[in-house]
Amino acid sequence: MKRDKQISQLAKKLVILSKDSEGIITGSKVDQVLSGLKQVQPRRYLALLRCYLEHIRREIALQTAEVTAPSAISEDALKAIEQHYSTIYGRSIRARSITEESLIAGVRVRVGDDLYDASIAGQLSRIAHQVN
Amino acid sequence: MKIRTAALLITLLSPALLFAAGPQEVAASEGVIADIAGKFGVTWATLIAQIVNFILVAAVLYKFAVKPIAATLEERQQKIAEGLQYAEEMKTQLAQAERERAEKVKDAAVQAQRILSESREQSKEMIEQKTQEAATQAESIIRKASEATELERQKMLSEVRQEVARLVVATTGKVLSRDLSDSEKATFSEAAAKELASSQK
Repeated sequence: MKRDKQISQLAKKLVILSKDSEGIITGSKVDQVLSGLKQVQPRRYLALLRCYLEHIRREIALQTAEVTAPSAISEDALKAIEQHYSTIYGRSIRARSITEESLIAGVRVRVGDDLYDASIAGQLSRIAHQVN
Repeated sequence: MKIRTAALLITLLSPALLFAAGPQEVAASEGVIADIAGKFGVTWATLIAQIVNFILVAAVLYKFAVKPIAATLEERQQKIAEGLQYAEEMKTQLAQAERERAEKVKDAAVQAQRILSESREQSKEMIEQKTQEAATQAESIIRKASEATELERQKMLSEVRQEVARLVVATTGKVLSRDLSDSEKATFSEAAAKELASSQK
């Protein structure tokens, strides 16, 4: 139990090392951390890598705004969304566009566990829910 | 036999007769008696022996025959008397028992009449009570059935409402998806993205 806690703390520090000057996780930084780990080969190397991967995924999810729409969103709209949610959450957030035709029209933004729905399918679902 | 009896009587009575007569008369009569006794063949020794014999026989008879017979008779008379008394008592007791029986029959009849009357009253009350309970129960059953029907109706209405809403939403979605052009969808998406970007959390 104590070892798991130590591994988790070490993984969090590695995640911090994986961020650039703007606090964004970049591939080059992650590669540096992984190469360093490969050279050092600390105790419980595999468990540390798994914990690091989990934290990296969580951090990426927190730094990513998944913008789902029935068709591709313009770059201007994505930039506006990035700025808006970076301001709201107080950290740098990058938008990633996802296409899903079942939304009919509109967009749905997911940041971590938060969901912002401005799609027609979502509105219809809410109307049906209110009627029920 | 009669002659011997007469001689015996004379023998027995002669001392008394002699005692009752005067001295001359006694002397004269002794001679007469002696003659008679001589004629009848009575001797003093035989007479005394017969007297003693008679007394013994009488005593024996009295002791072993007369007395037991008398006791038996006395006992039988006593038993008869007791039997009669017992019969009288039984008669009295029978009459008493008859009177008691009649009284008991009368009391029983009165009591039976009272019980019958009470039973009728109780059965009447019970019938009324049961009738009232049945009416109450029937009302309760009707009320519960009505409530169940109302609940079922509400449930059915809710299900119908949900189903209609689901169908409306599904139909609306299909209609919008089919009728909106790609440019309209893109325009709406851009507007929604700008709206999200400009909205407060």
